[in-house]
Amino acid sequence: MEFREDKAIFVQIAESIEDDILRGILFEDERAPSTNELAAAYEINPNTAAKSLSMLMNDGILYKKRGVGMFVAAGAKEKIFDKRRCVFVDDYLHPMLREAKLLGLTPDMLASMIREEAGHEEVCHE
Amino acid sequence: MSKLECIGVSKAYGGHKVLKDISLCLEEHRIYGLIGRNGAGKTTLLSLLSGQTFAAGGQVLCDGEPVWENQDALDKICFSREISKTTFFGNKDRMTSDMLKAGAYFYPGWDEDYARELTDIFELDTDKKITELSDGMRSALTIVMALASQAPITFLDEPVAGLDVFMRDRFYKLLLEEYCESERTFVVSTHIIDEATSLLEDVIILDRGKIVCMENTEELLERHRMVSGLAEDIDRFCEGRNVVHSETLGRKKTVCVAIDDMAGFRRDAEGYDFDISKASLQKLFMNLL
Repeated sequence: MEFREDKAIFVQIAESIEDDILRGILFEDERAPSTNELAAAYEINPNTAAKSLSMLMNDGILYKKRGVGMFVAAGAKEKIFDKRRCVFVDDYLHPMLREAKLLGLTPDMLASMIREEAGHEEVCHE
Repeated sequence: MSKLECIGVSKAYGGHKVLKDISLCLEEHRIYGLIGRNGAGKTTLLSLLSGQTFAAGGQVLCDGEPVWENQDALDKICFSREISKTTFFGNKDRMTSDMLKAGAYFYPGWDEDYARELTDIFELDTDKKITELSDGMRSALTIVMALASQAPITFLDEPVAGLDVFMRDRFYKLLLEEYCESERTFVVSTHIIDEATSLLEDVIILDRGKIVCMENTEELLERHRMVSGLAEDIDRFCEGRNVVHSETLGRKKTVCVAIDDMAGFRRDAEGYDFDISKASLQKLFMNLL
């Protein structure tokens, strides 16, 4: 995996595990990759991988089974939704607003652009 | 598991000071990256730490014991040097297999099966003379020596020099695998910095014989920011801040700032129209020198 520079690697790894849970690649009560598996797969220091896992555990997204490993918690998806919606403002809205300001787009203009684009997408999906 | 430290070591060759009063401590079970420009003193430092070169001042201790001419301490350390292209300890006919035999002789923990497995992985022809190996294959040989030595403290001096992207990838995977399965400490010097960043727990930056910084890689990256904007704004904003590097392009100025108080930095920057980003380790390294 190519890492971005704007985010710590352990956060990027944690987010990719969250993505897997959201996309149904990892199920609830299923074992999550171990520290060593993550280290090998992403070519990262195992301590970085451990940091990702403990962050997910602290957020209630993973839980530990002694001697077995880390598992996806029940209700993990909802927890990720809540967490990611908070981050969404920083990660997506702020950069967008900044660019919009640079281009002279008002919040109202942005809102109507978003509605229009979302409308297109819905039509495409139908 | 072993710990290695040096206190106030210096080294000069013919009046030229290569290392100046260096103190550092290598903790147990970590991967350190050693980066610095050509001639910064990286190889000399590794040589001193592994007791292969005598330090002019100061001392090198492994688990509290002096390293110099102390076999018990030396047994715990492997320094896999770059192998010279033209001669191998003066003998042009020395075979690759001889080098591996020497490994078995020198390192008490040498793992013969692992060495064989590694030579296969790197497609290393052990029936070739060392002087006939390509640059990449000579690097691969140093990797095999380092990993198979099983030394608790292992130094790899530019192990990926000359290796293609597939071989480099293989090395990074093998290093991590070995690190996960053992309690060994590794110090890896490299010029391909960004590729190795995610492997390195700590980074040691050496410049002109001095340690510029020795810090947890992530924390180092986390406490620096690139800030760019209108030069006057940047100058005003940077008053009293620790600017480690700056570049100007017309009315635009870009600075690299070391930050102690990130919340305060963010708050202060809010009133300005700045582009703020993190630097890669390579970029930061260049800015710090």
